[in-house]
Amino acid sequence: MDAHELKESRVGYRAVEETAIPPEWLAEFEAAARRPLETRFRYAFIHTHKPVMDDVPFRAFDTTADYRRWCEENLPDWLGYGRV
Amino acid sequence: MAAFEYRQAQEIRDCFQRHGVRYLFLGKSGAILLGFPDTTQDADVFVEKTPENCAALVLALRELGFALSEAQAAEVERGKDFIQLKNGPFDLDLVLAPDGIERFSDAWRRRVEVEGFPVCHIDDIIASKAATNRQKDRESLPRLRSFREYWMRQRKS
Repeated sequence: MDAHELKESRVGYRAVEETAIPPEWLAEFEAAARRPLETRFRYAFIHTHKPVMDDVPFRAFDTTADYRRWCEENLPDWLGYGRV
Repeated sequence: MAAFEYRQAQEIRDCFQRHGVRYLFLGKSGAILLGFPDTTQDADVFVEKTPENCAALVLALRELGFALSEAQAAEVERGKDFIQLKNGPFDLDLVLAPDGIERFSDAWRRRVEVEGFPVCHIDDIIASKAATNRQKDRESLPRLRSFREYWMRQRKS
């Protein structure tokens, strides 16, 4: 458990730790804030085919835990859906 | 399938409003609405899990062009916790019980409106990603937490 997770576990849902923002990220946040929402969308949403995940048109899981388990058991590791 | 577009987010917003669907944008798509500069593939919406809301959701999804069979519509109406839709004009994940957020009503109270889009508060987006604890979320969390600092400062000023 890292410091952020420890903090979150103590305060519930909130991530309240004050942290310095790396300058390159700050510049990106400020640049994004100057763009209209429609432009931000155009830059943000991409589409690539995710094997297995994208191969059927509909999936429904009784619980979120079932979905997480399905991801771990069926998706390639490199997609990043496995739990750490 | 092409990338999700702003116009389609507007269609969700307007159609869900017409049908009275209670929902919030969640995940990275929610963060992007708040101003977070990053990339993602799917839109995630956190839908209130009540029989009335899920029934309204089915009507709204069909109006948006999702080809739900009767069996699939019944699963949405039953309020399954996680539903992936790739049978419509865009991909959409319906999340009815996200990790890290206890109740829809809590997230609704903390919501942020961006151009009429109801969005989870950045703290809820972070809490959800932290609780999920996937590799891809763990990689995005430091930048998301920095964005939270920036976003909170902007709201105060």
